[in-house]
Amino acid sequence: MRWDFRYCLYIVGLVTSALLSMSGAALAHAADQAFTLLLPTGVYTAVGVICVVATVVLVTVLPERWMTGFTATCLHRLPRVRGFSTVTSCLSAGLVLMLFVLGQIGPRDPLANLAPLFVWTLFWTVFVVATGIFGSLWHWLNPWSGPCRLIRALLDEPPRLKPANGLGCWPAALLFAAFAGFLLADPAPADPARLSGLMLTYWLVTLLGTVLFGPVWLRRCEFLYVTLFHFARLSPIRWTRAGLRLGWPGWQIAGSRRLPLSLAVVPLLVLAAGSFDGVNETFWWLDKIGINPLMFPGRSAVVVPTVLGLAGAIAILLTAFGLSLWIGLRLAGDSLSFADALALFAPTVLPIAFGYHIAHYLPGFLVEIQYTVAALSDPLSRGADILGLGEFFVTTGFFYNQTTVRVIWLTQGGAVVVGHVLAILLSHIVAIRVFERPGQAVISQIPISVFMVFYTLFGLWLLAAPRGG
Amino acid sequence: MSNRKEFSNSRRKALKTIGLGAGSAAVGASLPLWARYAEAQSSAPIKVGFQAHKTGIGAAYGRWYERTTNAAAKVINDAGGINGRPLEIVLEDDGTDPKRGAEVVEKFATQHECDVAYGTLFSHVVIGSAPRAGELKLPYFVVSEGHHVASGMLNRYTLQPGITDVKSQVAAMAPFVSDNLGKKVTMIFPDFAFGHDHRDFFSAAIEAQGGEVVAKIAIPPTESSFTKYFPKIPRDTEVIYHVMVGPAVLTFVKELGEFFGPSRPEIFGFIDSLEAVDINSPGLEFLDGTYFWEGNPRYAQDNQSEFDKAYRAAVGVDNNGASVSDPTDVSTYAHMFGCWETLHVIKAGMEASGYSGAGDRAKLIEAVEAMSDLPHSHAHPQGAKLFNGKTHQVFGHQYITRVTDGKLKLAHTTSIEDTLYPDEVDYTTQAF
Repeated sequence: MRWDFRYCLYIVGLVTSALLSMSGAALAHAADQAFTLLLPTGVYTAVGVICVVATVVLVTVLPERWMTGFTATCLHRLPRVRGFSTVTSCLSAGLVLMLFVLGQIGPRDPLANLAPLFVWTLFWTVFVVATGIFGSLWHWLNPWSGPCRLIRALLDEPPRLKPANGLGCWPAALLFAAFAGFLLADPAPADPARLSGLMLTYWLVTLLGTVLFGPVWLRRCEFLYVTLFHFARLSPIRWTRAGLRLGWPGWQIAGSRRLPLSLAVVPLLVLAAGSFDGVNETFWWLDKIGINPLMFPGRSAVVVPTVLGLAGAIAILLTAFGLSLWIGLRLAGDSLSFADALALFAPTVLPIAFGYHIAHYLPGFLVEIQYTVAALSDPLSRGADILGLGEFFVTTGFFYNQTTVRVIWLTQGGAVVVGHVLAILLSHIVAIRVFERPGQAVISQIPISVFMVFYTLFGLWLLAAPRGG
Repeated sequence: MSNRKEFSNSRRKALKTIGLGAGSAAVGASLPLWARYAEAQSSAPIKVGFQAHKTGIGAAYGRWYERTTNAAAKVINDAGGINGRPLEIVLEDDGTDPKRGAEVVEKFATQHECDVAYGTLFSHVVIGSAPRAGELKLPYFVVSEGHHVASGMLNRYTLQPGITDVKSQVAAMAPFVSDNLGKKVTMIFPDFAFGHDHRDFFSAAIEAQGGEVVAKIAIPPTESSFTKYFPKIPRDTEVIYHVMVGPAVLTFVKELGEFFGPSRPEIFGFIDSLEAVDINSPGLEFLDGTYFWEGNPRYAQDNQSEFDKAYRAAVGVDNNGASVSDPTDVSTYAHMFGCWETLHVIKAGMEASGYSGAGDRAKLIEAVEAMSDLPHSHAHPQGAKLFNGKTHQVFGHQYITRVTDGKLKLAHTTSIEDTLYPDEVDYTTQAF
């Protein structure tokens, strides 16, 4: 039996299942946050951190050849249907327009209007996770490439404008930061009319940019494109024209060429925003900004601290990660430049961002998906029952039950831990690839590994911390 | 026009008490839909702007406030609506945010052309929204239980006719506590306005009963462990009065249980701490035999009225206070009746004033101000009430239940007189 990366994953899987199986033996207690505070989260956190430390030790001591499992197998060629992605993209554009109309004329309740439910629940929660699992679905479902192709066919001439080369993907990276600011700091990000108005404006501007500049606009300036590009690289599946390729989660990141820096730093931005999206609700943060968490004065009262906090979180994460990387380079004594190293290693944090995404949105998803089903059955809140649901009541009972609260918490914690484990593996494999000697790779990873261990501790603390707001 | 006037006048006579309004509603329910609205000249709906805590810290209450509101609106509409016109609920999410609350009130008045605004729970949203309602001359019916209405800090357009305020609730507890549990009370409360209200109102009330508060233990709002505070409880304490809220409330109960073990003083608390939480949750065993204030008893009691039975069925709540569709989904039963009752007061007020449109808003307020006895009825399933038109605040029975065999069993019902206190304002002297 040949040892390779699969066996490393097997060991990690065993440790992680040990963490998850503790749910059966855990002390009984549980109401929403109140029940969470009664869980032995200290023990869970310790086990989670031990998992990550064990991963660090494993990848350090195991021979390099065991890390070779991150390759893909081409399963089979896919039949090519001409114009398929144009049709799906146009359907997606039709959905955008329909959601805009619903946002404007539909119910004012953000939990009854399909526009915010689609954007925040089905897209930002479900679709992002689906992309991380199934790959680049956005290729077919983005609402621009299809309409753009049709418009260009009508105009019958190629795009004339060319974006400045020096800009790279920075416009998209900045737009992602602005999107995160809207998500976290806007007083009413789910207001149906405002959200659908913003959505349509963004769609139109992006469509115009894509028509004028060509698809390069999407790659450089469209923040969803660059964000989902990274999440899709986490998937075991890669859809290519040559066929469907399958490997271990993250194989596309492990074997990736060096990305442009402006594209490579996006996972760090996603991770920083995802992390702060938990911090800003904790008693700790609210206390720091002088807010009584039991009498939260509303989002409109904390817009400035939230924006500053987000900016601070991005700055702190970039600094901490950059510093870990820089120290690692110095210790390894390699000639690799810092910029190259950042571009190579920053994408490896994506699994952590993915784990945080699942952990952060899971509780909300469990409630909002019920509202989404109800809204699909009655899109205009006029008493329709298209899906035949009958009398339908949304429940949150699972937040007030010890068993379900424990399962939810351990799922969240498991996502955070697995994300860190995978990130450590990916970082280590990239190090083996880029450093000349194996010893250099191991040494270069020491500071990053310390960073990852502390980030695990932080992530699990975040899940267990009392929250208000 | 004359037809409508006659109709309105006859309704006004019939509505000396609101219970009769509920009776007429029952008759209306037997009519076919076309006939129910036929007597109204205009079948345009009466629009009630529902300022709902759909998101933000009030969302757990908001969900049940919405469910109760929809149930009440359905009952009212099934019975013929208001003045022969259907009632339409126009919901806007305020995010449990005072600034957005004021914006929502403005939308109700200018964008949705609502006849009244209604439904707010959280005090800071009421306090943030009421001035705008006053400026826009939009009647604003709150379901907040805060003392801010009766204290005089708001305005003539803001009324609280469907739920009692915290000052009367707390004061009414003192006679029972003093007579049955003990006279030496230690209060444990969160150290902000909500806790301070309890501290001040109860201290005064228990002293009036010959008791005393032997210690006032204020817990910082960000605290999540309480063991260091319990040694401050004086040894001669006969009763602990607690009113903790927030995510650490179960931790508080657990640690209090661990601190005292089997020998504890009597314990009295406000259900606000455990609203929507199953009393049988693990860790709450320590509460067995302790007492709670409940605005409306969560569990159906032995003396359950037909009105409570019908109200539960309409909202979809079982005899344990949980959703009929999910027994783990416990309702905010102690508070949400306020929505049901407030909508019925709006209906009664509109019928009594012959309300026909925005021009009659002042008449509507005067009609509600003129109300006094609100009998126990389908419109008021929580119990009989007494509305004070001067202070815009309703007064009513309070319930004290005891945790017995895993249920909250009724131990005492206060009289309405126990809840009264001297007027602090006369809104009727303010011009419209």
